[in-house]
Amino acid sequence: MDLGTVLSIILLAPLVSAGLIWLFARQRAVLAMALSLAAAGIILCFSLYILLGGWNGEPYEVTAEWLRLGGLSLSIGFLLNNLSALMLFVVSFVGFWIHLFSVGYMNDDSARGRFFGGLSIFMFSMLGIVLADNLFMLFIFWELVGFSSYMLIGHYLNDEAAQASKKAFITNRVGDFGFLVGIIMVYWTFGTVSLTELDHILEHDKSAVTAIMGLLLFCGVVGKSAQMPLHVWLPDAMAGPTPISALIHAATMVAAGVYFLGRTFLLFTPDALVIISWVGVVTAACAAIWAFGQRDIKKILAYSTLSQLGYMVAGFGMGSLYGLHAHGDSHSALLYGVGASMFHLTTHAFFKALLFLGSGSVIHACHHEQDIFKMGGLYKKMPLTTIAFAAGVLAIAGIPFLSAFFSKDAILYVAMKENYGAFIILSITAILTATYMGRLFFIAFLGKPNSESAEHAHESPWTIVVPLLVLAVFSLLGGYLWMYPKPLQPIIEGWVPHAHGADHTTMIVISLVASVGGLAFAFFFYGRGSATDRLEKIAPPVYGIAKSKFFFDEAYGYYIRKVQDRFAELMAFFDTLLISGILVRGAAGVAGLFGIIARRLHTGSVASYVWWFFAGLILFGAFAGGFLDGLLR
Amino acid sequence: MTTHFPIAAFDGVTDLFRTAGESMPVLHSFLVILAIVLPLTSALSLAVSGKLSDTAVKICAGIGFVAPGLISLWLAAVYMASDLGGQYAFTYLADMGLGKFGIYLYLGLNGIALPFYVLAGLVGLAAGLYAIQSKVERLRLFLILLLVMQGGLMGVFSSIDILFFYFFHEFALISTFVLIALWGRTGRKTVALEVTIYLTLGAMVTLAGLIALYVTTGAMDFGFNMITIRELMVHAPLQKTIFGLLLIGFGILVSLFPFHTWAPRAYATAPAPAAMLHAGVLKKFGLYGLIQIAYPILDLGIGHWAPLIMWLALCNLLIIGLVTIAQRDLKTMLGNASVMHMGYAFLGLYAYSSLGIGAAIMMLFAHGLSVSLLFLLADVIEKRTGNLDMREIGGIGSKTPVLMGLFCAAMLASIGLPGFANFWGEVGIFVSIFGSPSPWVLYPALLGIVISAIYGLRAVACIFFGEEKGELAGGDITSSEKLPAILLLVALFVVGLWPRSISDPVNESVENTFANKAPAISAQVAEFKMTE
Repeated sequence: MDLGTVLSIILLAPLVSAGLIWLFARQRAVLAMALSLAAAGIILCFSLYILLGGWNGEPYEVTAEWLRLGGLSLSIGFLLNNLSALMLFVVSFVGFWIHLFSVGYMNDDSARGRFFGGLSIFMFSMLGIVLADNLFMLFIFWELVGFSSYMLIGHYLNDEAAQASKKAFITNRVGDFGFLVGIIMVYWTFGTVSLTELDHILEHDKSAVTAIMGLLLFCGVVGKSAQMPLHVWLPDAMAGPTPISALIHAATMVAAGVYFLGRTFLLFTPDALVIISWVGVVTAACAAIWAFGQRDIKKILAYSTLSQLGYMVAGFGMGSLYGLHAHGDSHSALLYGVGASMFHLTTHAFFKALLFLGSGSVIHACHHEQDIFKMGGLYKKMPLTTIAFAAGVLAIAGIPFLSAFFSKDAILYVAMKENYGAFIILSITAILTATYMGRLFFIAFLGKPNSESAEHAHESPWTIVVPLLVLAVFSLLGGYLWMYPKPLQPIIEGWVPHAHGADHTTMIVISLVASVGGLAFAFFFYGRGSATDRLEKIAPPVYGIAKSKFFFDEAYGYYIRKVQDRFAELMAFFDTLLISGILVRGAAGVAGLFGIIARRLHTGSVASYVWWFFAGLILFGAFAGGFLDGLLR
Repeated sequence: MTTHFPIAAFDGVTDLFRTAGESMPVLHSFLVILAIVLPLTSALSLAVSGKLSDTAVKICAGIGFVAPGLISLWLAAVYMASDLGGQYAFTYLADMGLGKFGIYLYLGLNGIALPFYVLAGLVGLAAGLYAIQSKVERLRLFLILLLVMQGGLMGVFSSIDILFFYFFHEFALISTFVLIALWGRTGRKTVALEVTIYLTLGAMVTLAGLIALYVTTGAMDFGFNMITIRELMVHAPLQKTIFGLLLIGFGILVSLFPFHTWAPRAYATAPAPAAMLHAGVLKKFGLYGLIQIAYPILDLGIGHWAPLIMWLALCNLLIIGLVTIAQRDLKTMLGNASVMHMGYAFLGLYAYSSLGIGAAIMMLFAHGLSVSLLFLLADVIEKRTGNLDMREIGGIGSKTPVLMGLFCAAMLASIGLPGFANFWGEVGIFVSIFGSPSPWVLYPALLGIVISAIYGLRAVACIFFGEEKGELAGGDITSSEKLPAILLLVALFVVGLWPRSISDPVNESVENTFANKAPAISAQVAEFKMTE
């Protein structure tokens, strides 16, 4: 089969499914589930067909014009290369298992038609980002994933969902503001937005690239991948159903920003890369601290996602810089950043999807209880979920030779080479990561049940457990080359920076200390299945700092209520009073006044008319004689 | 460049339309007339006939709304299928006794007029279908006025002759005043008076500009229409004056800042079908006039007034955008939002490139569809909740899932989500601004996308999410209310997914119209830029 056809099928299958659901299955939950799952299955099959032999590994591009206005030509097209193939694999693979999970998880929801339609729309939009061959098309699907995220966060229609979905969309729009300026700037600088053409131009001459261009494009990443200071929407987005948190707000959509960086890595100058790295480092560290202040299992995972996204962004920035410094200004050296961030993106997709689905399984079993201090002792009731979840915890903690050990080490390694300060912060963050994940696991799963609902928990049905087990396998082994189809291996083999010799030993030691130390500390400090937070008890100020989330939400809330809304009201007042009231009504008033004056002058007395006549005559004479020139000038 | 349907399977259909257009040119010219005459005939027969059953009234009015809609779609299909290169087609010329003044009833469509013509047809159809089943008092008179409005609208956008273009506009405008005065919400008398005075003033200023144009170009000898006037010359100092008159006159009619205050109040007060027709279609008269009449011949005047256009457009976007955020009444908010969006269109004109003008036309087309859809749905919401204050409506989403879906879609379309028509116009305008002499304008202009997201999503969240407040009269949107809404939404979708359906004719016409204005720069990127 022609590769273009296969890619079209992959892209359009979820759109067709969404359309069919909207037309026929809004009230037929089972049909909606079947359609959505079938679309996800088709996507996975065709993706595997491409990865396991349908594609020779050479970059493949096909494109068609979509719109032409004046000199602007927008096209729609696919660009399949190693990078997009890796992302295609992640999205289709993780996506399918989350679809299957949703079938079990959403079985008692009243609006499943809307949910599964939204899920399909999301798959369509996300695959559009993955395959897009130019920046405008990428932006279009970028907006569309924002829309599907909005729709799915708001699924439950309650107040929390209303606020969270609105916040997510608007925060993303703020990021897109810079993103679109950046894209337009690229268009007017290079005369094209095609990724391939940009590559050709930039391989020979990078002089036209400016730092500001890269940073504007990075704004989009800050919004979509929830970097500081636009990170506030992601924790709130947990108001959506858990499969959505797993698919959109952990594994794929939020990683789209990192993927975008990899797709356009030539557009970032060293100056821009330094700033990008630090944004990532700060996000990683802060989010890890905030995770300690949370009691909600999904919120903890959300902050962990923020932190890991920070790692990826930092890895991109410092990896690219490392490539530049170690190997000069060559094309392939820059790939270190892409390799480091994309590798971590891949392993993160596996283990974070696993953790979220695991939490979903727990929430499902505990009748929508989300507070970890009201769980406890789940390992007896839900052995399979516990095993899978433990695999995820071990992976994210970075236990040596599990998936995240390799990917996180690549990032720590480039950080060590590039900037020692960042390296230390990221290492401490690694310890924190292991600790808060240990806190979550030991409190929720071990010990004794702390509530009615935890006591009555039971293992989830197979649709929920099977995805957990599959993802657990990938979370544990996702760091090894042979787990990946052949076209993806060059990225993991060649692009990811590897430590050698003494550095290699250092990295293993650091990982070992951070992961085992962090987990052990959590085990002894927080205890098994405890009903209260020990940190809160013994050191309220420390806990308070973590819980405060550094007051970002409060600051934005203050800005919206006291600045933006006040200013808007002021403008509305100005509009009503000045323009509508004084200028428009005032003009009418002035006309009326003239009418009154004119009426007064029509006294009917001949004498007064004669006086007016003379006055006019004198005025006319003065004007004709040039006496009034000074006045009128 | 030729126009083609992008998919080969459509070739047969394309051929069908082209053959129809080529073999029966006279018929197609008559269709243009028919689209104007049929609604007016319906109106007239309703007015003069005696007692009629409700059904008869509805059928008679229905014909008057459906016919122009179908004709406009048919003509658009024929136009796109025939390679006309953006030239005028379906022309019809008749001497109405004013021939010696250079004034004829001269009708026809080019690529610029076509989107507006289709917009008038579609929105008219939707508004008509919605009006027919609305339970207002004196339904017959209501429908008569709407039919007159519809006839006028079809005339405005198919007129090549400038006087008739103006004349048809007055036709539609006067019906609007009456509709507001008789069927408006509370305060209708004051609002109707204000709108009448304000818009008549705008129309008078426009007329002054047009007369000045008529006199200075000597159009009496050549014909005062949009084709011949492009060949004529206006001297530099006069260009500034005439363009200024047209800018302010048309500007008042399009609610250019600071002449916008009539719009939100008028739309909030007007009955829904009138608001749909006015906000959706009739308002576009001003920008359409600027593009078809002022821009092709007054290029020196444009250079003089461009900075002002830019500042006023930014005021439209930012100040009115903020004003929109502060609104609590749904319809007032929609009215303000529609004023705000005119800022984008003016920015497209400010960029003064074939991209900017083409994108502005696409944006106006899409905006017409989405704003009329929103007014329709807002009216349905008002019927259900008995209220338009967004603080007092709440949580109706779970009771009215379909209404929620439609309203969300319409709102997201109007804030420029890709997949809907509005996105293309907006993005084209943004790109064009960066190529204008002052690219920095892009930054404040793009704030608009954040502002519109704020008010749009707030409205959705207030109305449909959260806890239910108050009683709901009637359930979800009924199928007879749904039909016009779906019609508009489908049009938004089709153009959103397949923008070339609109952009190709627009692009050809715009490039034709402005090509000979293009200085040497144009050769490079097939675009013309402002001459400094």
